[in-house]
Amino acid sequence: MSKKHILHGFLVAAFLVLLFGVGLSQPILDIVQGERPQVLEVFSAPPTEKNLRAYEKEMEDTSTIVQTVRPYMQYAHFLGLKDLGKDVLAGRDGWYFYKPDVQFLIEPWSGQEQVLAAIRAFHDTLAAQGIQLLVVPAPGKPSIYPEKFSARVQPGHGAVSRHSREMLARLVEAGVDCVDLFTLFEQNSATTSLYLKQDTHWSPEGMRLAAQEVAADLQRRGWVTKGAVKYMFKPVTIERHGDVLRMARSPQILAAIPPESTTCKQVVREDTGQPYEDSADSDVLVLGDSFLRIYERDEPHAAGFTAHLAQQLGMPLTTIINDGGASTLVRQELSRKPQLLQNKKVVVWEFVERDLRFGTEGWQVVPL
Amino acid sequence: MVFSSYIFLFCFLPLALLGYYLLPGSTTPHGKRNFFLLCISYVFYGWSNPWFILLMLTATAINYFCGKVIATASVESTRKTALVVSIVASLSMLGFFKYFMFFQSNVSLVMGLFGAGPVHWLNIVLPVGISFFVFQGLTYTIDIYRRESPPARNFFDFAAFVSLFPHLVAGPILRYNTIESQFRDRTHTLEKFASGILLFILGFAKKIILANTAGQVASAVFAAEGPGVMDAWFGAAAYAFQIYFDFSAYSDMAIGLGRMFGFEIIKNFNAPYLSDSITDFWRRWHISLSTFLRDYLYIPLGGNQKGSRRTYVNLAIVMLLGGLWHGANWTFIVWGAYHGALLAFERWRGKHSVYERFPRPFRIAITFVLVLFSWVLFRADTISEAGRYFAAMFGLMDPQPGSALLAGEIYTQGRLALMLVCGLLAVQPLQAYDWAKEVTWGKVAMVLPLFGLALATMFVEAFNPFLYFQF
Repeated sequence: MSKKHILHGFLVAAFLVLLFGVGLSQPILDIVQGERPQVLEVFSAPPTEKNLRAYEKEMEDTSTIVQTVRPYMQYAHFLGLKDLGKDVLAGRDGWYFYKPDVQFLIEPWSGQEQVLAAIRAFHDTLAAQGIQLLVVPAPGKPSIYPEKFSARVQPGHGAVSRHSREMLARLVEAGVDCVDLFTLFEQNSATTSLYLKQDTHWSPEGMRLAAQEVAADLQRRGWVTKGAVKYMFKPVTIERHGDVLRMARSPQILAAIPPESTTCKQVVREDTGQPYEDSADSDVLVLGDSFLRIYERDEPHAAGFTAHLAQQLGMPLTTIINDGGASTLVRQELSRKPQLLQNKKVVVWEFVERDLRFGTEGWQVVPL
Repeated sequence: MVFSSYIFLFCFLPLALLGYYLLPGSTTPHGKRNFFLLCISYVFYGWSNPWFILLMLTATAINYFCGKVIATASVESTRKTALVVSIVASLSMLGFFKYFMFFQSNVSLVMGLFGAGPVHWLNIVLPVGISFFVFQGLTYTIDIYRRESPPARNFFDFAAFVSLFPHLVAGPILRYNTIESQFRDRTHTLEKFASGILLFILGFAKKIILANTAGQVASAVFAAEGPGVMDAWFGAAAYAFQIYFDFSAYSDMAIGLGRMFGFEIIKNFNAPYLSDSITDFWRRWHISLSTFLRDYLYIPLGGNQKGSRRTYVNLAIVMLLGGLWHGANWTFIVWGAYHGALLAFERWRGKHSVYERFPRPFRIAITFVLVLFSWVLFRADTISEAGRYFAAMFGLMDPQPGSALLAGEIYTQGRLALMLVCGLLAVQPLQAYDWAKEVTWGKVAMVLPLFGLALATMFVEAFNPFLYFQF
């Protein structure tokens, strides 16, 4: 056998061992684990385009070799390229951003009419039942801290959230009452860190500022009279990796970056000492997304937006929370639970600004 | 099915190779192997949408039987009629599936001018690779008509030629007369197989590591509402790299796969960004398309044999149709017209560019910029979007408030480094096709880790389209 033959044979063998090795390892593993080899699933459904795509995706997502290699490779990408995967963008000074938040600010958006129609329809339906609606778009992190994402943004930059501001203006023009957190946050962003570095969401301080503003707005308008329930604060420090970092799906990355430490103020009833709890009988219904979930239903619990809004208003509130679903899903849930609107005077509707464009199920008109 | 996918690499390809080489009695003539290739190529094609198989089978059958008539008929008019049937049927199929929606949207546009509402007659899904297999089918009947090739031995050999999976959905465009002999007789050697592996791995790495990264930059900039001047140029350059590394990678992988199955497929790229004129560019870019257009359109139109004015017209027609071949959109037509105009202008100057007296690096740079403008047309979804992008490139558009954020997304250390690598590789003369001809230990030591790296990168990437699949 000539030297050339050995060389060619080596390359061919190495290539084939890799292809066959990976290809065969999965069905063998499946069989060893007592399962039907996933590769045979292709015969379990008609070969339609949809079924084939689903099969292909499932095969890649559940492959042991892919699942084993992916986190390490993502970590290598992070170390070498500061790349954290398709959903995450690395900013400056240890700040990380959720890509759709940034996309919403950079890219054109033409869905204003649909959003306006959905919000107006909801407003009018509630008004017909004598219920006030207060719309609270939550600024995305890059709207308030663009300089933490791009060095090109200088301190004292102008507003970058054009779409949201225009939407707010159009809503107000259409007679929908709104809270402008954009201006408020921009005024306070230099002195207080209003967002978590590793997370898409606001910090406890940002959340509290929003809750105070909404409470003050509701009282200013005379829609809510302060209740008699007394709450007090209990400081709780939590340490966690933010959701943006966790989106990279690499434990190695999480191990390399220290978790963010945050001190929350858990809201506790003065009379019972129990953490804040929602009440279905409240005058106020709060709809929203994960900006309401954080600190409230996540640890430390009872320390999120609704708890702080309740503390400000002196009464427990009713809530419907759906991650990423504040555009339509929360209203659909409300339409399935009409009893939640009984005795309500006010609905507060929070949604993050990126959901103007990316909200799950878009902006449908939902009959109540 | 996409080459850079788990299912192709770890299921389809191993099974295809295993079946092909273990086929009993698999020596020349290659009837059984050709039939096996036909079967797996239909699986490969049908994977994107099983219904498309019927379309390819129909096109194949029409061209095969027309070819048979052309080859056997003794009367010239019969031969010509069969050729016309083949051409009309093939182009009608292409026209309907590829251009009907374009036609419908333009009718709607015109109706709108007269106050009428849009029309919605049909909703046609573009079958993957139709532009490629229709052209390949046409080369068969035309080559037989010109007596440049004998007809295929049987339907299966011809169907295997049309559907040969390595080049089926994104080329190179194979001409029947350049490959028909390989369906009768081809060699399978360890050396050829190893060389195919080298080329396949290089293509795969180019696609996964370079093209996809450049594509992320290009996508971010082209999607931006108001990119700054520097961002717009950077985005256009990123797209130039993306389309080159993506398409040439596909060609490398196709040629590499072809070698693994014993075929020699023609070279499709030859350092196009080293071109020093537009004429030179079209000798180096998508060579299989430009030679197809030359031999099957430009020359039949009269080429340069009917006077200079007719030559310019022919060039313009060829490039317009070449543009339209790429996609049913005014952007592609304008792209073709732009290249046609530049080619005609250079032809008027005796195939010399205006800047031919500049030093070669300057000629290359100017040609690259001219090509860059054409990529903006190619990438934009509409003419107005292209106009907006050009305005951004020349600072004629007010940056939008969010555009300052774009810098944070595109000028990361990693992306800058990979864009630099793209730039350096794009302007070096050694092509993967030539590099992979000879296998050495050094090359093996380089490509195997590269393959591992590219595979691992594929596992973390979500952005993985081949650009030419849409054509």
